[in-house]
Amino acid sequence: MSPESAVTIAREDLSEWVGSLCNSAVMIAPTSGPGGDALFSVVSSPDDVLWEFENPLQPPKQFLLPQTDPLVQISHREGHVQLEPIVDDSRLILFNTRSCDVSGFLYLQGVYTRDLPDGAYARRTDNTVLVSLACNRPCSTGFCICCDAGPFLRTGFDLQITALNGRMFVEVGSDKGRALLDGSSSLFRPATQQESAERHEIEATARRCFGPETCHFGSAMRRISTRRVPQELWDAMSDWCLECGGCTHVCPTCYCFSVKDRAVDGGWTRNRIWDSCQYEAFTLEASGHNPRKQKQARMWRRFYHKVSAQYYQRDGAVGCVGCGRCIKVCLGTTDMPAVVEAIRKGEWRG
Amino acid sequence: MVDLLVPSVATILSQRDETPDTRTFELRFRDPEQQERFDFRPGQFLELSVFGIGEAPFCLASSPTRRGAVEITVRRTGQVTDALHALGTGDEVGLRGPCGNGFDVGAAEGHDLLFIAGGIGLPPLRGLIWNVLDERDRFGRVTILYGARTPTDLVYKDEMRVWEQREDVEFHATVDRAEPGWVGNVGMVPVLLEMVKLQPASTLAYVCGPPVMIKFVIQDLLMRGFAEERVISTLERTMQCGVGKCNHCCIGHLFVCRDGPVFTYRQIREMAE
Repeated sequence: MSPESAVTIAREDLSEWVGSLCNSAVMIAPTSGPGGDALFSVVSSPDDVLWEFENPLQPPKQFLLPQTDPLVQISHREGHVQLEPIVDDSRLILFNTRSCDVSGFLYLQGVYTRDLPDGAYARRTDNTVLVSLACNRPCSTGFCICCDAGPFLRTGFDLQITALNGRMFVEVGSDKGRALLDGSSSLFRPATQQESAERHEIEATARRCFGPETCHFGSAMRRISTRRVPQELWDAMSDWCLECGGCTHVCPTCYCFSVKDRAVDGGWTRNRIWDSCQYEAFTLEASGHNPRKQKQARMWRRFYHKVSAQYYQRDGAVGCVGCGRCIKVCLGTTDMPAVVEAIRKGEWRG
Repeated sequence: MVDLLVPSVATILSQRDETPDTRTFELRFRDPEQQERFDFRPGQFLELSVFGIGEAPFCLASSPTRRGAVEITVRRTGQVTDALHALGTGDEVGLRGPCGNGFDVGAAEGHDLLFIAGGIGLPPLRGLIWNVLDERDRFGRVTILYGARTPTDLVYKDEMRVWEQREDVEFHATVDRAEPGWVGNVGMVPVLLEMVKLQPASTLAYVCGPPVMIKFVIQDLLMRGFAEERVISTLERTMQCGVGKCNHCCIGHLFVCRDGPVFTYRQIREMAE
């Protein structure tokens, strides 16, 4: 992305631009939720959009991969089964999404569109514009810098906004992003050399602000990929896991699901619903046999999927974007940095 | 772009009981063109829906050389299989597939083939067996060894008689426990291996059955000089999507539904779990 194609907009003009975006598509942005926490939700007014916020505990994953995603309507007509695929083709703008969450979408797009592409997911991706708000300073638990998933993005966004001192600096990452500027072109002007320099200085400063106690994937990846993590370590760590599945639900890159029919109006809706590899029944077979009954086997599974070289080769990235949500949600302290550190050191302190 | 998880409607054409809890269903897509287009490899599987109850994977038990309908053989074990057994001829189910890699029939050409099945492990091999027998000239010697707990638990009893009588097939069956009227072999499947002459270097062995049987049979085959790549089996895991997305069936980084369910013993031994 060359600086010449970046534009800037005055802060006082944001309202007009965002207002026009609200009228053009379903606009989803961080808003002020109950208790003062930020929350991604549909907004109808630019006044509801937050520009300064701690990233919401729930990632915006649910808007592309709904927790309950209706796929097909099943009914009976004249003695025969009728199947009507449910197509969601609403146009979304995910606005002020943080770099880690955009990186999460990039990862999900890979797993859902590689090999056999999933129509439902691909359609939502095609209909969604990702407007990212770069992080001028690290958030309280983030370690995106270790996963190449932030604080600023080089790819994956349609627009990336950086808050400069006076104006907002907007980089265009795609034609979809450019289209969001077209309707309000009078509000934007090309970025100056000075503004580009300021944006890069902000990124450099943000990168310097990450502490040394971040998440060292390389060494953990070597150990977990070559089966050099002692079983006793998994035993000790999994002892702290409460099997709540919280880590998987707030994780921007977790996508395990089940398919279930639900009764509606004399027929059924077949839904894709979120599931978690951390639940005991995830691998339970009809015979009663369960290959991952043991909690430590399930914990191994989670980190093998996210950190192993085998999956890195398959997915082109670690299954972590460093958002730090698992740190906030885990009651047992078996979050990503803690487990990576334990694997690296061969020791769990709990 | 395909909606991977949306099934097509198929009709139960016929059904027949194999054992007290196992039944073979003959299925045909409601759309004749879809049925005409439907092609598969033996060893691939279908995701079958009993609407309102759920979806589960079942191996294609018929041969792609016999078109017009497909067959699956299902033991009553859980919610979907219970509901499927309660359906009647003419009832409609959902089908998706074929899923999975299946057996590489082309690569087996010219080889001697040894099929070893235990109990409900015969259906995944039956499609391949009929594929081979329908194109008999392409393959070397064909040996089929089959065992079950009791004579009642043997599936495809009519077809066993056909295999027994064919001159171009060597067939032996055994049961763990005889019942009145049984005059055949008694003992676990490995006893049948004692009865056949094998040339491990030119033979491909297809092994399918309960885990404990697979374990002993494969040990036996390796001792007889079979290379790990020449021993081929199919794996089972609980599945939801069948298309390599939902992660239920993963073993290490492999999807049983997509990278399998057919694996060589070497692949199985090297798996990360």
